[in-house]
Amino acid sequence: MALLDQTADGAMGAAPPTAEQLADERSGERASWWQTAPLVIVLLLFFGLPMLVVLAVSFFDFSRTEIIPAFIFDNYVDLFRSQVTLRLYLSSLKFAAIVWLVTLVLGFNIAYFLVFHVRSLLWQIGLFLVCTVPFLTSNIIRMISWIPFLGRNGIFNQALEGAGITSQPLEFLLFSDFAVIVAYVHLFTLFMVVPIFNSMARIDKSLLEAARDAGAGRFRTVAEIVLPLSKTGIALGSIFVITLVMGDSFVVRTMSGGQSASVVSALQNEVAALQYPPAAASAVIMVIIVTLMVAGILRLVDVRKELAR
Amino acid sequence: MHGSDEGRPWTFYAFAAFFGLFVLFLYGPMIVIYILSFQGPNGGMTFPLNGVSLHWFNALISQTRVGDIAGSFVRSIGLAALVAIVTVVLSVLAGLGFRRRFRGSAFAFYLAIASLIMPGLFVGLGIALAFRLLGLQTGWYTTGLGAQLTWTLPFGLLIMFAVLGRFNRSYEEAATDLGATNWQRFREVTLPMLLPGIIGVALFGFTLSYDELARTALTAGAQNTLPLEIWAMTTNVTSPTLYAVGAVTTIVSFIVIIAALTSIGAIQRRRARGKQAEQSHG
Amino acid sequence: MVSAIGAEAKGATGSGAVEVANVTKRFADTVAVRELSLTIPHGAYCCLLGPSGCGKTTILRMIAGHERPTTGDVRIGGRSVLGLPQVERGTAMMFQSYALFPHRSVLDNVAFALKMRGAGLSERHARARELLTKVQLESFADRLPAQLSGGQQQRVALARALITNPRVLLLDEPLSALDEYLRLRMRGELRRVQKELGITFIHVTHTQLEAIAVADMVVVMAQGRIEQAASARDIFVAPKSAYVARFVGGQNVLTGSVDSLMNGTAAVASPTGARFAFPVGEHRPARGARLYGAIRRDRIVVEKLAPGAKPAAGLNSVAGEVHTIENQGSYVKVTLDLADDEEFVAHMADDAYFANPLDIGDKVVARWSASDVKLLDDGLPKENPAPARGAAAAG
Repeated sequence: MALLDQTADGAMGAAPPTAEQLADERSGERASWWQTAPLVIVLLLFFGLPMLVVLAVSFFDFSRTEIIPAFIFDNYVDLFRSQVTLRLYLSSLKFAAIVWLVTLVLGFNIAYFLVFHVRSLLWQIGLFLVCTVPFLTSNIIRMISWIPFLGRNGIFNQALEGAGITSQPLEFLLFSDFAVIVAYVHLFTLFMVVPIFNSMARIDKSLLEAARDAGAGRFRTVAEIVLPLSKTGIALGSIFVITLVMGDSFVVRTMSGGQSASVVSALQNEVAALQYPPAAASAVIMVIIVTLMVAGILRLVDVRKELAR
Repeated sequence: MHGSDEGRPWTFYAFAAFFGLFVLFLYGPMIVIYILSFQGPNGGMTFPLNGVSLHWFNALISQTRVGDIAGSFVRSIGLAALVAIVTVVLSVLAGLGFRRRFRGSAFAFYLAIASLIMPGLFVGLGIALAFRLLGLQTGWYTTGLGAQLTWTLPFGLLIMFAVLGRFNRSYEEAATDLGATNWQRFREVTLPMLLPGIIGVALFGFTLSYDELARTALTAGAQNTLPLEIWAMTTNVTSPTLYAVGAVTTIVSFIVIIAALTSIGAIQRRRARGKQAEQSHG
Repeated sequence: MVSAIGAEAKGATGSGAVEVANVTKRFADTVAVRELSLTIPHGAYCCLLGPSGCGKTTILRMIAGHERPTTGDVRIGGRSVLGLPQVERGTAMMFQSYALFPHRSVLDNVAFALKMRGAGLSERHARARELLTKVQLESFADRLPAQLSGGQQQRVALARALITNPRVLLLDEPLSALDEYLRLRMRGELRRVQKELGITFIHVTHTQLEAIAVADMVVVMAQGRIEQAASARDIFVAPKSAYVARFVGGQNVLTGSVDSLMNGTAAVASPTGARFAFPVGEHRPARGARLYGAIRRDRIVVEKLAPGAKPAAGLNSVAGEVHTIENQGSYVKVTLDLADDEEFVAHMADDAYFANPLDIGDKVVARWSASDVKLLDDGLPKENPAPARGAAAAG
């Protein structure tokens, strides 16, 4: 819109802003402040502050009946010393990795289908909504709806036996790691689909045609063009899925029948037993680890330009 | 560019089949539950259906053994409506504020994203602890509302980003040019044009609150939300009443979703109508 | 509620003369407009012409009040309008994308400004219908903008802007969203409407021929400054600088250093060895000084050289190779490659060309008479720049 001015005497045009300009900017800034303030205040009150409280409490002492303000590292030491911690993290990480992989494959293909194979915009929106609507219904119901499906007398087993594929019900389907993963995938694939869909939709279709003209087959086109250009969406989706799985307690409790545990489900036990400081310490450690994972993903892919309009 | 007669590559059918399976995967189990909720009075938790009845739906309203379903149901809807309203107002305002660059915008943005990603139980724990340390009681309209807002506000903000990103500012300039004051411009041009997005924010605010479990677990206070009731039921109920609850709550969700989507669709259609009706002469 | 319309009629009386007084506009790290002064007389059709980034749209928006000058003043009808609310400015703007409110009917769009001023429903709808009739769209009053074609939307945007009886109408590239055919038709429409209303139009464009076609006064801009402000005729036949000559088109720029000076004519030698005669009037350029001149492209005669023949070393001619040939209907545009960087183009009348057509690569000589050459300002000692004044509407 405007050019850098270079007059004949060599003066560069970027002079310091005038008082009038500053006043204009300030009033715009002030308006933005009061517009974003309510939201920020609510988040600080109910998110920022509580997280700081958790951090503080993680250093507290506790007895059977109360928590005692203090500044001790015992909770952390106990965590690091305990074998259980390692086991829990391995369990959570295992779930996170498997679910991430499965939702990535599913999400990528579904997004690809919607963006590149569905031609009518109406169909695109319609099918997208079909995928999204379940997300807007109750998570618990969707989760437990797998129980009659996967149980020993459940639909799946009955169908298998009816078709003669198996003679005995498959036990591993329910109250197992398998069931946990199925439930996670069921609940969280959408979180992969949406960001990847977004990224893919921005790809200029003529890029694909140019690749085809240059002789690239379908697979090469996807590998060379679609995949790199969807990196941001994949990164965002991965962040969502990983944090959701790592932070979950309800799914792993229900679907594993108590056999598996996650960090957060153990934490929930501690809370129920009123052992707040250890729970807080556990939460802090978890947040640090997940933040490192998220930072790692963001290192790999620059997400900012897609989030900042 | 694509002729409507152009044949589709085989990969299309492969993908379509894949997509169909996915949809089945998404909806299948839910449909199973709905069917099972009509289980006969003597039926169990799985197939086969032992007669068809509304017995378990009756059990919802009549038996107190299963907890306070009806009460939590009504309360949850009320809370969800409140959350929706608050989310809309705060998200729209903040979204408008983010249109300019301002000092602290990065902080506000990352605060919202962090609130989105933080596991709900941690947030709930933090709020409960904070109130406990302050000697206050957790309550429905204080901590319960606040905890749910930490989940819905980031969603609302992101939706507003998407909507405002596509919003052309020249409409607002035209309004100013024609003599509108700031308030008139907002009421006559900005708000109506953002309405579909606002409905979307309200939809998310309502449904996310209505189904929320992790954040409200420790912050709802003395009374349960519907999801909390359901959670309690999963551990100690062994009858299809659970399925009946599931069916009812999902129907409510569907009603809200369909209402929101049809109103958005109606608005969009009215405004975009006539792309085919272009006159041939200028 | 007659007073509402009466109040806005106040803006209609009073002069629509626009004065931009020594305005500078700085954005965060760039200067869009630099110490620019411009006077546009009441009732003129003025075009701001220039490439992207020259500042023309910024000037328009400052007159409209959508931007504030960093320094300087903007006056309409003699009165400063800086910071004034819309009702008191007397301006109205037509946006490049039309910016018709998609959620309101055509009628409501046109009546919008009256609604903002508090006019009653029946009154403002009646007035809106009047205007729609003027632009021949009265039967579309109840449609939504999305149901109209591009040309129709533009007419609605025009009606919407005119309902407040502005003294000055500001048009931001009004024709660039239309296809070629519509563009040519709407040009005439805009001109007709302006003449009928008698108000000032300020029209921003980057299309040279469009500016010349519609405007009384053309302001050629570059890099935040005015290069030349004159009548459309003068911009074409008497460009002041090489920039204007090149940008507006229709002229070739010749350059060289002065060999000798006699009787108001300078003999100039170009770097490639060609020799020109420039009429220099009162100027007395020193020997060796660099001069620039413009020769109209349609005042050039092009002749094919017989194979092997060498071009005669005459005055006011150049020799070169035919580079491109473009048929423009009533004339043929022949571009010559002269082995220097300057583009040299001749417009040959179609009969003359097709009597003896040329081929790409032909060796030719182009000739013109010295009296058709106009001296350009570049290289001459600078006078104090006076504020650019609009020439009276020349026909």
